[in-house]
Amino acid sequence: MKTAILIAMMVLADSAGDVFLTRGMKQVGEISILNPKAFLTVGARVISNKSFLSGVFFMTVTFVSFLIVISWADLSLVFPAKSLVYVLSTLGAKFFLEETVTIQRWTGIVLVCLGVTLTSLP
Amino acid sequence: MGEAKGSSDATVTTRDACSRRASLKKTILVLIVTIFAQATGNVFLSMKMKEVGSDGWLIFLARAVETPTFWFGTALLIVSFIFFAAALSWADLSFVVPAVSAEVVVNVVFANYFLDEVVSLTRWTGVLFISIGVILVLRSERQRAHRESKEILTRVDR
Repeated sequence: MKTAILIAMMVLADSAGDVFLTRGMKQVGEISILNPKAFLTVGARVISNKSFLSGVFFMTVTFVSFLIVISWADLSLVFPAKSLVYVLSTLGAKFFLEETVTIQRWTGIVLVCLGVTLTSLP
Repeated sequence: MGEAKGSSDATVTTRDACSRRASLKKTILVLIVTIFAQATGNVFLSMKMKEVGSDGWLIFLARAVETPTFWFGTALLIVSFIFFAAALSWADLSFVVPAVSAEVVVNVVFANYFLDEVVSLTRWTGVLFISIGVILVLRSERQRAHRESKEILTRVDR
């Protein structure tokens, strides 16, 4: 039970992190990664953005719950569970960020999810 | 602040149409950096971890931080995160997240090649699934960029 709760927390926090990070980055605006000067000024805006910071917070929660859960649970249980993040983050993108997800994209995402599960098995 | 999204009909030009397709190329390029920085970073960190052994976390960490391999691996993971976040500033999350899963494929190949890990048939099957999945996601994004640039062009014609 403890394992299930921690894994659920890890997966949910991971997806929430993705969604918040995306929202923060969209609020900051398109980053010109090839222009170092513009990149540095935008960096200050990024790390003071609340959504971005919430994203980083959720990522930290993910990492910590991952470390805690692998201290007793089997990796071959934890890693396959992690692949659910692909589906959950897409649901988050659809409902919270209002992205259009076509059937082709969904098919691709489900295949990725299955594939990641398979690669995490021995 | 980058290009204005959803610019009004009066200001759309053929340049907007081209930029839709150019931005997909840029996204893919940035994601390739994300993927390879992440995979290379993992190889360096994994090499280091195996070298120092596992007498407990703190001792491991204390020994690891003294080596350039550790810092190089960590720096690469930071670069990977910066590029990932940058891509999210213009691209869809539902595209970036599955596209970046290609890093699992690169990780498996690198582990097999540089770290001499034996990769089971189950894992190679997983690699195949991910590859097909990523191709489908890429295709969906290309079709979208194509459709959007077409829509813009018909508006310009009018």
